[in-house]
Amino acid sequence: MNLPSGDRSSPGACSRPDETPSGTVFDIQKFSIHDGPGIRTTVFLKGCPLRCLWCHNPESQDSLPEISLIASKCVGCGQCVQACPLNNHVMGAGGERIFHRARCRRCGACAENCYAGAIEVIGRTMSVEEVIADVVKDRAFYETSGGGMTLSGGEPMAQPAFSGALLRQAKDAGLHCVMETCGFAAYNLYATLLPDVDLFLFDLKDTDPARHRENTGVALEPIVENLRRLDTAGCRIWLRCPIIPGINAVETHLAGIASLAGPLTHVERITLLPYHPFGQSKYARLSIPDPMLPCRAEPTDHDMDRWRNYVANRTTIPVDVS
Amino acid sequence: MQAAAMKAATRHPRQARWAHQGFGVATPFAGTVRLSRATRDLATRYLSGEIGRAVQPTAFAVDPAWLATAPTPNRHYAEAVRLIAAQAPLRILPGERLVGAATLREAAQHLTPATPFRSISHTTLGFEKPLRIGYAGLRAQIAARLARGGLDVAGVDLLESMTICLDAATHWHARHVAALERLVAEARGDERRNYEQVLTALRPVPEQPPQTFREALQALWMLWDFQRLCGNWSGIGRIDKMLGPFLARDLATGAITLDEARELLAHFWIKGCEWTNGQGHQMSEGPGSGDAQFYQNIVLAGVDEQGRPVANAVTDLVLEVVEELHISDFPIAVRIGAATPERILRRIAAIQRLGGGIIAVYNEDRIPRTLTAFGYPLEEARDFANDGCWEILIPGKTSFGYQPFDVLLLLQEVLGLSATEPVARHEKVECGEWRTHSPQPGMTERFPDFEALYAAFRDRLAAKVEELTTTVPFLDLPCPLLSLLVDDCIERGRAYTQGGPRYTVRSPHAGGLADVVNSLLVIRRLVYEAHEFTLERLVGILQSDWEDQEPLRLRIQRDFDFYGNDSAEVDALMQRVFNDFTKLVGAVRERNGALRPAGISTFGREVSAYRPHRTATAAGNRKGAILAANFSPSPGTDKRGPTAVIRSHCAVDFGRLPCGTVLDLKILPQSVKGEAGLQALMGLMRSFVQLGGIFMQTDVVDNDLLRDAQAHPEKYPNLSVRISGWSARFATLSKNWQDMIINRTEHG
Repeated sequence: MNLPSGDRSSPGACSRPDETPSGTVFDIQKFSIHDGPGIRTTVFLKGCPLRCLWCHNPESQDSLPEISLIASKCVGCGQCVQACPLNNHVMGAGGERIFHRARCRRCGACAENCYAGAIEVIGRTMSVEEVIADVVKDRAFYETSGGGMTLSGGEPMAQPAFSGALLRQAKDAGLHCVMETCGFAAYNLYATLLPDVDLFLFDLKDTDPARHRENTGVALEPIVENLRRLDTAGCRIWLRCPIIPGINAVETHLAGIASLAGPLTHVERITLLPYHPFGQSKYARLSIPDPMLPCRAEPTDHDMDRWRNYVANRTTIPVDVS
Repeated sequence: MQAAAMKAATRHPRQARWAHQGFGVATPFAGTVRLSRATRDLATRYLSGEIGRAVQPTAFAVDPAWLATAPTPNRHYAEAVRLIAAQAPLRILPGERLVGAATLREAAQHLTPATPFRSISHTTLGFEKPLRIGYAGLRAQIAARLARGGLDVAGVDLLESMTICLDAATHWHARHVAALERLVAEARGDERRNYEQVLTALRPVPEQPPQTFREALQALWMLWDFQRLCGNWSGIGRIDKMLGPFLARDLATGAITLDEARELLAHFWIKGCEWTNGQGHQMSEGPGSGDAQFYQNIVLAGVDEQGRPVANAVTDLVLEVVEELHISDFPIAVRIGAATPERILRRIAAIQRLGGGIIAVYNEDRIPRTLTAFGYPLEEARDFANDGCWEILIPGKTSFGYQPFDVLLLLQEVLGLSATEPVARHEKVECGEWRTHSPQPGMTERFPDFEALYAAFRDRLAAKVEELTTTVPFLDLPCPLLSLLVDDCIERGRAYTQGGPRYTVRSPHAGGLADVVNSLLVIRRLVYEAHEFTLERLVGILQSDWEDQEPLRLRIQRDFDFYGNDSAEVDALMQRVFNDFTKLVGAVRERNGALRPAGISTFGREVSAYRPHRTATAAGNRKGAILAANFSPSPGTDKRGPTAVIRSHCAVDFGRLPCGTVLDLKILPQSVKGEAGLQALMGLMRSFVQLGGIFMQTDVVDNDLLRDAQAHPEKYPNLSVRISGWSARFATLSKNWQDMIINRTEHG
């Protein structure tokens, strides 16, 4: 078992104990209203140990900042060609643009000079103070709606020191803190955060171990183990289950969700998240092959309703669809 | 027979489909159906435009021989009102529970029928007083005032003309009573019973003060609709405050049930669509601004003059009716504050989520304070309503007008940017005309630093404010009917347009602030801090409309956090411009007989009056762009969502803006789904109040739907969108107005 246990790959992470760490953030989204209760600001951290086939945030997987290229926005001005120190941007004879991504060192010079917004750097190093200063701005909205800060990703536990410091400071500022996690990390890392997390959004991708490993790249068992231990520790938990037609939208999994959650005492709700293809275009921007390319079936409202009922009939925990 | 001159036409072919689709709206109502089938069917007929299309031009005229005797304008006007009351067609439809109808087309065109006179809008008349004392009481007040003497010739002329108008209103009422008596005699069964009930409620009112909820509702309709029949477009004002006590009494005695009261209120709302013509073009005169722009605003909740909460059963019933019928013709503003009950906020959020922008909110905790600081007595400040849009005024006591001007034009002038000559354009009677000024070339050398430039801009702004606040507010426009319903016209013997009201207000309204601030930000950073180019060079680039400078233009748009992103730097610059504007206006509280409270608005001027003279801006806009609406961010520049927009908007001290302003928010429907979405909308409203905003209108709609509606208007006949203080059916907007709405940034 190779569980991530520290900020091994986070380039901005600072390991000196006397400083608050910095981390790699790829978005800070205000007015998030489906990432926990109330109006929230969701801080998306870069880096994830899972490689779910259906991932709709592929830009969150790699822990390093990376270059996103939206070809349709390119106006052909050639600024990137001039800016790139390694000549990785090339205008072909026929006017077509070529980007040698494999040779790219991700310096971001091309993005800096891309005024059309076709090239962008996804992810930037931020200090805890910078993030929190932005998050606390919406305090008035958290207070009137019961909201706060949500850490998401990627996987916040891929940058545990940074996540811990963010939660600590947010808590000190009096904010309600939610952490969304895939559950794949050493439990002792969770244990240090518990006082500062008011609610976990715990993602459960599949309940079939073989399918889980095949479709997410990691084992199911440590995830289930962490779920049980968080529950035992008294953490409030909302279980979030992506439903992917052709992969896990099967009755055995739906029943598995209910039977896994049933004995737990702190799971307050189960949310089924219908697969959506919004992330599709992001793969091309990062030159990553889209693993779901052959499968594009979006579940209908009717399907989701049926599956919701299927789970709801097998547990006393409230089940909803997001 | 005459009484049913406009008999029920054949059923509109669209009717069945509409009823099925929730009246052709974006999100059909899926809640509890509370209204009767008959009432819903009647709504469908009105919304289809069937009734509106039947409104005909006036077929009578003032006798030329009498006019040759050179009557005063007031007498001329009063004679027309007498003729209208005597000869305008009546419209009494079977099944309707209220009577009275504005059946003359000129009235819907902002004209006084049978006269050469324009009419008056942008006001909310005092309907509360006649509900208390009836026509009879008004008549007695006039008589007493005449008897007391001391009026000049003009005053006597006005009061005598008022009496003629009042007698005309009584005659209009009598015609309805007579017609109903005939209908009762002819009809049978349910139809007859309905006519009898209508007649019973109508007979005593508005001549005498109403005694029951039904009488009060009928009286209010008659009072309001008669001034409308004569061409005026008044707001209605605080309907729950006016009618709530009647309903409370009737409910207590068991004289009426909530269900019955809801049906009656629904009929009031349905009749409010009497000018909707459903033909994709509006009957009113505004160019392309939609068919629901008759300023018939309703204000709900808040406190009364003594500070007691108003929200009552009428408040809830109105919200239920609007939620179910989705009628946008009465734009509603609810006064909300920290003390507003959860159930009311929840209902507002639920209605907002249906789309259409029918319900906006005022900050109850902020506005009365601002008004008392401006100088209004506390009791009047607590009674605030609006002019039919959102500009704050004291209803029934105010002659209102605002003077719009484009601050961005002033900055461009200072920069020596040559605007194309604007098309000479008459805004409405109450608006000042804006003028163009010649560009002043060679000015860039005079601005060695940002402060020098800013000082020149401020001087230009000061000159504009001085010009606007020096205007004389009085007009030679006869309006004795309107003057009847505004304090203190009778007492002073002066008309609404002549200083008769307790308050005559002329409010300078600045537009384009966001674009000024964005432009100043770019100039400060790139010209004076980074020294990338000289001011002269920048002006040259703007004069050429960014020719060969696309990379620079795109870089500016990409790299700058403009107004609306909760950026401390921009918000500070906005505070500076805002404080200068409000300080300049605030220095002239009253001049030439008019109060001069500051306001900020564009309404639709960002697409109509201002667009032709808008050059390229330093903020990366090309010539003729549709820029910021009201006090909202410039379209597409607010990238951090609605909370950041609200924070930036509320970063100024709105205590300095007694006439008010508006924040327009457009939110994607999918982002506010479910209970979480409802809570989020409620949270936005609560926070807006807590942060000290004034007025916020939230439109939950997505651009894909709007584009589809632009291409296929027939699919969305009743799809409403909030414009600015009013909602209009999207299909009745001209294309550039539709584009303006689509351009507003979507948040989700």
